[in-house]
Amino acid sequence: MNKQLGFFIDAKRCIGCFTCAMACKNLYHQELGVIWRYVYDLKTEVYPHRERAFYSLACNHCENPTCSNVCPVKAYYKRAKDGIVVHEQDKCIGCGNCIRSCPYGAPRHNPVLRKAEKCSFCWERIDSGLKPACVLSCPVDALELIDLSTYENPNVVQYPQGFPRYTKLNPSVRFRVAETPTIIRRKRL
Amino acid sequence: MDQNINDQAKMPLSCSMSRRKFLNCLAAAGVLTALPGGLLKPMTASADLNFEDGYQIFRNACPRNCYDTCSIKTYVRDGVIKYIEGAPESSFTHGGLCVKGYAYTRRPYSPDRVKYPMIQDKRGSGNWRRISWDEALDIIARKFIEINEKDGSMLGLALTKYSGNFGITNYAVEGMMTSLGYTSRLVGTPCWPAGIDAQNYDLGDMWCNDPEDMVNANYIILWGANPAWNSVHTMKYIYAAQERGAKVVCIDPVFTQTAAKADLYWEVETSMDGALALGMARHILDKGLYDRDWVMQNSIGFNDFARYLRNEITVEWAAEKSGIPALQIARVAEEFATAKPATIWIGYGMQRHVNGGASVRSIDALVAMTGNVGKVGGGARYGHLYTWGFNYHALLQPRPEGSVGFLGAEGPLGDFDFSGDKVDEYSDRPMNMNKTAEEILTVDDPPVRVLWVSCKNPLSQDFDRNKMVEAFKKPELIVSVEQFFTETVELSDIVLPVTTLFEEWTVNASYWHYWLSINEQAIKPMFEARSNTEIAAALSRKMNELKPGSCTYPTEIDTKEWMIKEFNQGIYDLFQIQSWEDLRDGPVKAKMHPASWQDLEFGTPSGKYEFKSDLCAEHGHQALPEFKEGRKPYDKLRLLTPHTKFGIHSQFVNLDWMEEYNPKPFCYLNPIAARERGIKDGDMVRVFNKIGEVRLEVKLTDVVPPDVVMMYTAWFRNLDYNCQNLVDDTSSDMGAYKTGAPGVAIHGQFADVARV
Ligand code: SF4
Ligand code: SF4
Ligand code: SF4
Ligand code: SF4
Repeated sequence: MNKQLGFFIDAKRCIGCFTCAMACKNLYHQELGVIWRYVYDLKTEVYPHRERAFYSLACNHCENPTCSNVCPVKAYYKRAKDGIVVHEQDKCIGCGNCIRSCPYGAPRHNPVLRKAEKCSFCWERIDSGLKPACVLSCPVDALELIDLSTYENPNVVQYPQGFPRYTKLNPSVRFRVAETPTIIRRKRL
Repeated sequence: MDQNINDQAKMPLSCSMSRRKFLNCLAAAGVLTALPGGLLKPMTASADLNFEDGYQIFRNACPRNCYDTCSIKTYVRDGVIKYIEGAPESSFTHGGLCVKGYAYTRRPYSPDRVKYPMIQDKRGSGNWRRISWDEALDIIARKFIEINEKDGSMLGLALTKYSGNFGITNYAVEGMMTSLGYTSRLVGTPCWPAGIDAQNYDLGDMWCNDPEDMVNANYIILWGANPAWNSVHTMKYIYAAQERGAKVVCIDPVFTQTAAKADLYWEVETSMDGALALGMARHILDKGLYDRDWVMQNSIGFNDFARYLRNEITVEWAAEKSGIPALQIARVAEEFATAKPATIWIGYGMQRHVNGGASVRSIDALVAMTGNVGKVGGGARYGHLYTWGFNYHALLQPRPEGSVGFLGAEGPLGDFDFSGDKVDEYSDRPMNMNKTAEEILTVDDPPVRVLWVSCKNPLSQDFDRNKMVEAFKKPELIVSVEQFFTETVELSDIVLPVTTLFEEWTVNASYWHYWLSINEQAIKPMFEARSNTEIAAALSRKMNELKPGSCTYPTEIDTKEWMIKEFNQGIYDLFQIQSWEDLRDGPVKAKMHPASWQDLEFGTPSGKYEFKSDLCAEHGHQALPEFKEGRKPYDKLRLLTPHTKFGIHSQFVNLDWMEEYNPKPFCYLNPIAARERGIKDGDMVRVFNKIGEVRLEVKLTDVVPPDVVMMYTAWFRNLDYNCQNLVDDTSSDMGAYKTGAPGVAIHGQFADVARV
């Protein structure tokens, strides 16, 4: 397998603090309403206590990116050397195909430029040997940069409950699921 | 065309909210190049591409009364902050910040900033007019001179300042007051005084182990602390201990984010923490699991404590009080006593009760009797001020000759007051910060004629908001020093724009970890903002112009020079640096033993750990860490108003970047309580009690028990939400000894909820 960078999302460690999401804003100053990374709380069917377990998600830099396939002007390309899916905003004509086709909701509409945009995996930082902003910022190392061609970890899953399963795209993301502690509720007299 | 250029030049003062426009403003001001990464055009990566090239890098530090006091690396290009990161040199923050920290990039450039001095035609009317600094200071200085002539003293001038900015140079505000004469000071702390006093009685000071040392613990009890939200960088040490095999127990009335990461969570009855600790202590005593040697060598009063436990406390009683089953209490007590080293982190939440100090003393005793005080990986962790030994240069101003002040005051002026013992004939007039409204309304001879507010937003953070609104009608002049149009500014006459951390020089230490950071001026002050230091100097200039000798504060100040004056050999030795300049290479850590009290020489009168404290008894409390009842309920539900992860007190929530993730407030209610009241998820509800009400949307969740309603402290720029509508100013038991006034029983509050 070729080198394929991906995100490892450790929901067992993640504290839902939104630091990763804000670190992305801090670096790219997206227009208000344009979000590249978001921290989703798991519904109580997945984790029994509201707003206490999370997945931090952005573009998954899929193996077969539908965004790229549907783009009429080839504004997307997948980097051969590490699998990052790059969106070239200069080429983008804002047709919205990618926004409609990506089942993970990664590309967002920039209302000012009337173009699409999405998580770039901070490829400029990666090319300089730096970690992506979100990964660097995570205070508990719940978000990591991994290379799927070599990554091995028996505790990970690709499609945990609550994360849409689109095997054709093969999203470059892996998860460890959240756990609950032993809970002693007080006796109510 | 000319018109166009003209308009552009004005734009920085009238930027609207959009990023594009905002960037245009900066471009017009000649300060913009491409954003970092621009919009990510493809280019061929070459070996020498360096993302960080072309930036000037500055050192900053987050001064916002947060455990983590992060050291920041600020990347500036063409005079504009492009992005910030955590300082990689600090092993504590590890290159990262928190969600609030990363929102800082937006803060100096927020379109909502107070940009220049303004005056409000009628207090609360919203009719603000821009005035010059000179005009503003002229009005203020004339008023000062007038009240001094009328009253024969400056006691009619009251200062309220607290934790909005803990940068050391901000003591310029107190120094400025001193240099005007004897003034009135709102003293105390709303935050942690009960625990401070408790630890002073037991140990002789408040001093915690290095949080990085938590990794060495074999057992960790997080008691009323929620680091997953309020000290995010400590979580990784807790995880590291957990991965090593340590058990993590979280005790809290709310199933917090931290609780969700623990091995065991106890949903304790609110304010019954003392009972729980004593029950555990009794069980440890019965099983003979206490550390006989430690207790004999290093403590006094243990026999009395043991007798009290045997006579008054049973595990069953503790179970009944706290709601935690006796078997659980016994098991955790045994595990804790035998794990060695074991530690308890005492959060600031659990001591915000009328019995808070007593509860902390019980927990201290539990840690001490198991011999875990003074040990690596152990400790009763609460906080410390051991790295705060600066000169407090700005405070040390002489009073103007002939100043008349208050007779009869003694004691400290607050937890962060370092001005030392004064032996003057007169003193400042102390007023209880935690009863700010009450004090302003009742203090007389002279009354509070002028109120100066800095580093604080009392209308959003202090208690009994309705009473506060009344109180804010009374002074003849209210001056707020602020960055945003807060609720407090709304009720002021004059607002002076103050610098953000990126626009001033200062230095920052933490009350939790052992790191020290410099805060450099990274950008020129935006608009007409000035630092507190510069404001003090400018006011002094004006005072002396109008009435020579009426203010002793220096009139010309270089803020960097003033920061340098804060350093001394003690600081250099503690941090093993040659000069403050070394901090420009990154933060440094104090060369202190990771375990507080490791030499077992305690600061108490006996020099030992005091299970029985005569000093505590002298101050009107129990000599032993005996159980004390909580506040009696006065309404159906317990009201809890803890901190949100998106803000610190009233700061950060108002930034537009933060609104993307946290656009509005909610209250949280258990489905059982909701059913009884016919409330559905997402309903608008009224939370109300004897002092006021708020309306907001409800989320149903089992993270709160059925007898609790919870909502977070915050200040939203476009909403009138304020949890202080419901929190009265009832005092906690302790705090007067070390901080000048007892704290507030912030969590000793009750309310009910109804659908609207
Ligand atoms: S997640 Fe969506 S936008 Fe990202 S690569 Fe896959 S299909 Fe494209
Ligand atoms: S990789 Fe970069 S662009 Fe993508 S979410 Fe992280 S910070 Fe944002
Ligand atoms: S920064 Fe880390 S812990 Fe916080 S939400 Fe993101 S992934 Fe989770
Ligand atoms: S709020 Fe606390 S954790 Fe966040 S940046 Fe400031 S000091 Fe660090």
